[in-house]
Amino acid sequence: MKQLARNFLCAALALAAFLAAAALIHAWLPPAIPKGVAAKLEFFTQHKDEFDTVIIGTSRLYYSISPELFDRTTREEGISTRTFNFGIDAMHPPENFYVLEQILKTKPRNLKWVVLEMGDIQTKWDAILGTQRAVYWHDWPRTVSTLKKALNPRGGAPWYIRASRLWLARRDLASNLTLFGKQFANAGRAADFFPDAARERMSEAASELGPHGDGYRLAGDPMTPERAAIFQKKLAQEVAEPRQKILDPATESAYRQAAAKIRQIGATPLFVVTPVTSQIAVRFAQTPPPAPLLSFNDFKKYPELYDTKVRIDDGHLTNEGAREFTRLLAHEFARHARQP
Amino acid sequence: MLFVEFRFFWFFLAVFAVYWSLRRNNSRKLWLLVCSYFFYAAWNWKFLFLIMASSALDYFVGTMLSRTDDPRARRGWLILSLCANLGAIAFFKYYNFFVISAAALLEWLGLPASLHTLNIVIPVGVSFYTFHSMSYTIDVYRRKLRPVSSILDLACFIGFFPQMVAGPIVRAFAFLPQLRTLRVFGDVDVRGALILFLTGFIKKACIADAVAPYVDRYFEAPGNFTAASAWVGVLFYAIQIYCDFSGYTDMAIASAGLLGYELPINFRFPYFAQNISDFWHHWHISLSSWLRDYLYIPLGGNRGPRWFVYRNIMITMLLGGLWHGGAWTFVIWGGLHGLALIVHRQWSRRRDVLPDVRDMQKHAPPRGPQSIGGWLAWLLTIYWVCVAWIFFRAVDLPHAFPAWRSFVLLQSPGTQDLGTWMLWIVAALGLVHWMNSRGVFSKWWRRVPAPVFAAGYGCAFAVVLLFIPPHYAPFIYFQF
Repeated sequence: MKQLARNFLCAALALAAFLAAAALIHAWLPPAIPKGVAAKLEFFTQHKDEFDTVIIGTSRLYYSISPELFDRTTREEGISTRTFNFGIDAMHPPENFYVLEQILKTKPRNLKWVVLEMGDIQTKWDAILGTQRAVYWHDWPRTVSTLKKALNPRGGAPWYIRASRLWLARRDLASNLTLFGKQFANAGRAADFFPDAARERMSEAASELGPHGDGYRLAGDPMTPERAAIFQKKLAQEVAEPRQKILDPATESAYRQAAAKIRQIGATPLFVVTPVTSQIAVRFAQTPPPAPLLSFNDFKKYPELYDTKVRIDDGHLTNEGAREFTRLLAHEFARHARQP
Repeated sequence: MLFVEFRFFWFFLAVFAVYWSLRRNNSRKLWLLVCSYFFYAAWNWKFLFLIMASSALDYFVGTMLSRTDDPRARRGWLILSLCANLGAIAFFKYYNFFVISAAALLEWLGLPASLHTLNIVIPVGVSFYTFHSMSYTIDVYRRKLRPVSSILDLACFIGFFPQMVAGPIVRAFAFLPQLRTLRVFGDVDVRGALILFLTGFIKKACIADAVAPYVDRYFEAPGNFTAASAWVGVLFYAIQIYCDFSGYTDMAIASAGLLGYELPINFRFPYFAQNISDFWHHWHISLSSWLRDYLYIPLGGNRGPRWFVYRNIMITMLLGGLWHGGAWTFVIWGGLHGLALIVHRQWSRRRDVLPDVRDMQKHAPPRGPQSIGGWLAWLLTIYWVCVAWIFFRAVDLPHAFPAWRSFVLLQSPGTQDLGTWMLWIVAALGLVHWMNSRGVFSKWWRRVPAPVFAAGYGCAFAVVLLFIPPHYAPFIYFQF
């Protein structure tokens, strides 16, 4: 019995030493931001006080909102802005919340507005598993939100349904916990300090920041006639059956916390639903919503954004479409900015 | 599930905790079997049936062998087991190879050929667990081993998760007696096992997987690279395959050791061997001794005229090469080693010092070169091993020859460079390996108090994790 206790003590000591060493290293190392995100974050850190508006989201904003045009339009509306596009390919929630925190940590003195794309918290990362991109934002708050979402994807489930989802969601739970483990244990961080990594980051910066250095990159060509036909058919179905969706508790809570953090530094949050094919009207379960919600996924209200000539696919717009969307967003933005 | 993955740690923790909390040996074995099958099913559950069928058949054959003394009937049962096990390997690993080779031969002879290949998924570890299984029936047939009374023992032996998918190839006579007795935790060398696991983890995750991208880049298009890059690519592959396979083996032995089971050593610093025969005494020892006992010796071994012995060596090495996979590159690799073994045997015969193939398991680590002659012998051995590795690693023969020309003849039309400075990494790793072979790192950790060891181990693991790659390459030997 005494030997057993000694064994347990030694095992506990090894675990404690591992956790302590990992935590110490974690605190000492800078955050492990992957190339594309790092390029924008480094640039923003250097020029943080030059911008008063930041747009954060996926490629649906990255390739669609031109800060130059956005600022020109808001100026015409009587509001002066200086905007940076912090869109990153496939930066879905909760990664966007982590990036938002990194942006806010730079303490930008002149930041007044944060436009955040709305989307559901994702729990599956198969496409990026095995890359630093899946690991770096998996800190405990973000991991908890993915676990909550995996166990209660639609919200309102009683405890026994959630318990049953332990089995259904086992892969999501395991992969997100593993990613958290990797993030906490600094797995593979030594590679960040190899000369190759710095060189690659530098070369990535130019393309990520776009031709004007404001984070915006030009989009591609419109869809082919075949794809356009499929798109129109799908859109007609969506328009014929408009739906409403109440955010699940994990996503709602994450957006509320993000809004609170933005307000803490004196800025105002604004949430945006991009003009995707899906015509679902999203709303928060609790009122009031944490921030104004601008929904552009409305064919009846914004038919110009659904013309096949301005679309690349279900979620992305051509350059022409991007200009149109930028103008519309700027108008809506200005309308809200004018309100007390 | 790989030994280096996070999920393996959770898996092993559960196996370990439940295993040692069970009191009865049968319960423990049942738990091990369930966990082993779960471990395998994490890759592909459908192929579990193949392992189960192999275990059931060999249990049945073993039982039938014990019930009859009729030599013809006994031979019949053995042939049934061999046909079933080798048939499984032949189908999954060699069907397409034989079909493609036959079609090429027919085409060369000018005969019409319309043979079809199949889209076959090779079950992970099929070559290993069928060899485990065959060693059981052959030893029962030879009356070296009593058949097991419980199918649980045999299933546990064949499916034991640390060694199921990539060895070491454990012999039934060495493992089954361990299953019969209740293991005692007090007898487990926990420190030794933990250090061995960490060593294996470093070899695999921090070294093999770190050099793998350079090796892949080189062997993808060897003709595009300079001759200096050929040396980097080939030497890196020599490091990769050693660290990958011996790292896996270390982790397998350590995992088994923590559960109270002893698996045989598979590597003893093979790259310090001063002749090719010595290399095979220290490289993949469990396979070389298996081939010796179940193929080379039954073929006639060292008995008979000189050319008969050379024939036996060549057949063994060619089949040993083919065991790794259905490709001519593996056959050539085996042939090159067979040729070197024959040359070395002839050389030794002239000097009257014949290598003894019977004492492979007893060999200590190679002493390393002690004289100028020794250095030359070592250089020649490592050079030949590396030349053979080119064929082992190459995607196919058309990719192998440019690499061979660059490495051997130092001729290459390519201009791309992998970075000659990387040869310093090879030298540094070689130095660390040599220090390890001289016992520089060994045993001091046994003398520190247990709490210090535990705390140090936890810290060491935290540091090691800094050096792991973003994603792990599968173990090279999983494909065999």
